[in-house]
Amino acid sequence: MAASGVANSETFTVTTPSDTEIQLTRLFDAPRHLVFEAMSKPEHIKRWWGNLGDGYSVPVCEVDLRVGGKWRFVNRHPKGDAEFYGVYREIAPPERVVFTEIFAPFPDTESVVTALLTEEHGKTRLHATSKYPSKEVRDMVLSTGMEKGAALSYDRLDEVAMALAIN
Amino acid sequence: MTDQLSTTFAALADPTRRAILARLASGECSVSELAEPFEISMPAVSKHLRVLERAGLIARSREAQWRPCRIEAAPLKQVAEWTEQYRQIWETKFDNLELYLQQLNAKETRHGGQRRGK
Repeated sequence: MAASGVANSETFTVTTPSDTEIQLTRLFDAPRHLVFEAMSKPEHIKRWWGNLGDGYSVPVCEVDLRVGGKWRFVNRHPKGDAEFYGVYREIAPPERVVFTEIFAPFPDTESVVTALLTEEHGKTRLHATSKYPSKEVRDMVLSTGMEKGAALSYDRLDEVAMALAIN
Repeated sequence: MTDQLSTTFAALADPTRRAILARLASGECSVSELAEPFEISMPAVSKHLRVLERAGLIARSREAQWRPCRIEAAPLKQVAEWTEQYRQIWETKFDNLELYLQQLNAKETRHGGQRRGK
């Protein structure tokens, strides 16, 4: 789509491998251990994860990178805070991490994210697959209804809750 | 209060209805043609069609007596647009990560590759 001018931007893809999954892939021009580190240490995560422009920040970023350890991120955006948390299930540096993810307003809806890093000629490809409890939830996420503190999502929360109740 | 997008998603949540839409994507059909591949009764198919029609995903011609069904692109386009926003959010995050990795990489190279992270 629109070229952002950032290296490897064109390698980003969003696919739906099954009715209940979303997979994101992207190539990064960095060695694998560095990508792993940037994705798993709070001081790094804060710099890229919630930084979507003016008025966005990550006031809370806690990572206990152990099997059974908890993580919690809060994304502050112009209309409020969006909190996400979960538990690490598998940790195999620098290749693979599996963790659960809950968007705080929907504590009963847990997704499982598998992040896999593969090496490609000195670069690193990320494959992040999120598995949701149902197609309805997956579709809501895809519609940004539950996703990542975009200002839009707060406007839509009541509608999303309603839609989930209907389903 | 239900908006168009929620109605669309609710209508798309059923595999039979998705199969009906897939069939209609290749052209207009009568209700009996649509019912053929499914092991369900005509009234059940009609019920699915009513859900799809209410969601604006299909339209039924009132001109021909066999009232053919056809797919309506607008709500699906809306779904695609929302999906595009999800895509854009993650594209931004990953672009940020790429730029940040360049900084980390430069720092590591300066330090002679000593700082092996986990």
